[in-house]
Amino acid sequence: MDARVDKTLRITTPSDVEFAMTRQFDAPRHLVFDAMTKPEYLVRWLGCDAMAMPVCEVDLRVGGRYRYVFRSSDGIEHVLTGTFREVARPDRIAFGETFSMPGFASDEYLVTSTFVEEAGTTTLTTTIRHPTKEARDGHLNSGIEKGVEPAYDRLAKIVAGMA
Amino acid sequence: MPPDPLSSTFAALADPTRRAILARLALGETSVMELAKPFDMSLPAISKHLKVLEHAGLISRGREAQWRPCRIAPASFKEVDGWLGNFRRFWDESFNRLDGLLEEMKAEEAAKAPPRTRKVRVTKEKQRGRTRG
Repeated sequence: MDARVDKTLRITTPSDVEFAMTRQFDAPRHLVFDAMTKPEYLVRWLGCDAMAMPVCEVDLRVGGRYRYVFRSSDGIEHVLTGTFREVARPDRIAFGETFSMPGFASDEYLVTSTFVEEAGTTTLTTTIRHPTKEARDGHLNSGIEKGVEPAYDRLAKIVAGMA
Repeated sequence: MPPDPLSSTFAALADPTRRAILARLALGETSVMELAKPFDMSLPAISKHLKVLEHAGLISRGREAQWRPCRIAPASFKEVDGWLGNFRRFWDESFNRLDGLLEEMKAEEAAKAPPRTRKVRVTKEKQRGRTRG
């Protein structure tokens, strides 16, 4: 494996209404693009151990829709749906997305992913743009990595002790 | 409580001073006076931050008029913990799995079509054919 590939997930806030996730992958970008847009690949990686992905439908064309359903171990369904606004394999993809779960439905936010390849390494940057700062902050807070976490780890421990 | 508690919670956490206040309170409840000490800040300024934190449900304050101790409100922190933790965990885990899948996809592609490998293979086959023929 290439040691130059930095597999740290970085979260930044390019503006008041946006946040961005950046991550490098040790693969050419057309493969990363396919892995992120084709259901047969998506079901194999998207999600986490606590979340099964029983529904993954993708109509990959401008105006086409997708629908992902994640089911947590307690049976709660978290649904991501969206409409593709831009599909430019392997450079760029953009879609409007909404997230919903029982008792909560988000406004639509715009997701833009760019795939930049250099020497076989792909840098994926996904920028999520919310209609308002409040909505963005609700999705994720600025300085979360460096600012909140140290203080927050301690808090989490204390909270765990109280529970 | 506002209609979307999580939003005001995150807005409250966006400020470094308020995060520092929370970190201090994580060590135990204390008074506004004590809280203000390390921050080189006026009491009204600290009070303003405390109001934001209280409004966001991150801290609660005692009713004793003078003393009004501040303490962490565990319930709302639990909510934030779940939210932040889940978001990061979700993408970290997903992307780590994607790394594995991409290795497979690369190998698959290499087996299928890379011009260089294919050339070598064709040549070998030809040679084999020739030898056989």
